[in-house]
Parts: sequence; C-alpha cells; structure tokens
Amino acid sequence: MPEKIVVDARNMACPGPITKLTKAYRKAKPGDIIEVLATDPGFKPDVQAWVQRTGNELLELKEEGGVIKAVIKVTAKK
Amino acid sequence: MAKGLAIIMFTGQAEYFIPLAVLTQTAANFGIPVRIFVTGFALPYFTKNKPEPRFSKEFEDMVPKLEEGMKKLNMPSWYDIVKEAKETGDVKIYVCSLMAEVMGLKKEDLDPIVDDIVGAAYFMQTTEGYQVIFI
Repeated sequence: MPEKIVVDARNMACPGPITKLTKAYRKAKPGDIIEVLATDPGFKPDVQAWVQRTGNELLELKEEGGVIKAVIKVTAKK
Repeated sequence: MAKGLAIIMFTGQAEYFIPLAVLTQTAANFGIPVRIFVTGFALPYFTKNKPEPRFSKEFEDMVPKLEEGMKKLNMPSWYDIVKEAKETGDVKIYVCSLMAEVMGLKKEDLDPIVDDIVGAAYFMQTTEGYQVIFI
C-alpha cells in the first residue's frame, strides 16, 4: 500500500529542506506520496530542480501564507 | 549535470565553510559524487585539535546579524552538515600531502571526517571530468 509521508521542513534554511526530502525519499517506496512543507524562499525552484534531477513526479506546488507545499509522487524507484 | 564536484578547500575563514557545507550537502542530495581536497589555510580545521573558524575582520560588522539569523534557523555547523553529507552521499575528504608534510601532520592527527592524505596527482586523476570549485 502506498503511503503518504509528511516532511515538515518549515523554518529550515537551504539546504535543509532538500536534505530532509532526500532522507524521506531514501526510505520511501514506489508509489508513495511525499508532502513537503517549507518556508525557505528558495524552496520552490529547488524542489523543481530536485524532481527534475531524480525523475519523480511533482503533483502539486503551491504557496499559502508563506508556507510552500510540494507534493511528490515517488515514481523513479523500482 | 556535472559528473562530480571537486572542491579545493584552501581558505580558512569561517564564511568560506558555509558554501563548502551547502554545496557538499546539495550534491550529496542529488547523488553527485563530491571530492574535497583540503589544503592551505583550511587544513587546521580538519585536524583533531581543530579550532573554531573565525570570520574575516573585513566583514565583522555583518557577523552578529549572520550568526543571529543562523541560530534562528537552527542551522547545523559546517562540520555537522559535511558529516551528514558523508553519511548520505558519496563524499570523500582528502588532505593535501604537501600541506600535511609541511605542517608536520600525520593521518592520526586528522579529524575522523578525513578519508586520507593524498597528492595532487591522485586528486586530479580521480576527479577527471568533475566540475572544479576553488574555495
């Protein structure tokens, strides 16, 4: 069963949020959904670059009240 | 994307350890190999009796705000970031054999974060095709 993993990286500076996401990704299984919350102003382009680099799917990327939410589907793991 | 990052860490002031940590961690997150060559004035900070790096006098007016901001963000030290990058990615730290010799340092005097003492030829050969960053 695919799981939903929440990564709370709020109030962390670069490269903290991507590091936390990478760690969660290492443990994730194919099909899992990773939801990352971050406040780092560089997180939006950074998470897009991460998705491009790792070949996973970005389902959602939005900012609300100063918090950036990225929802990623683990598709690059076999 | 680069095949790997070859970082030559030469400078010893505290501000230079921030990009070292950030670039190393980011490359580790991306699965990009990192090879760090420690030489020059950066060497003391990779020994067992390492001092705390000091910020350049030139920028001392900026330091209180910088330190306050980093504290507010609970930013780990450069050392902890690099150590963590070594655990998650393919990161190796080499100390320049010339500098080690000149400063009278042996492998056992170096911090456990250091993988080995090597010469420039080994470093150049093993980082062939890597993007080179001189700090």
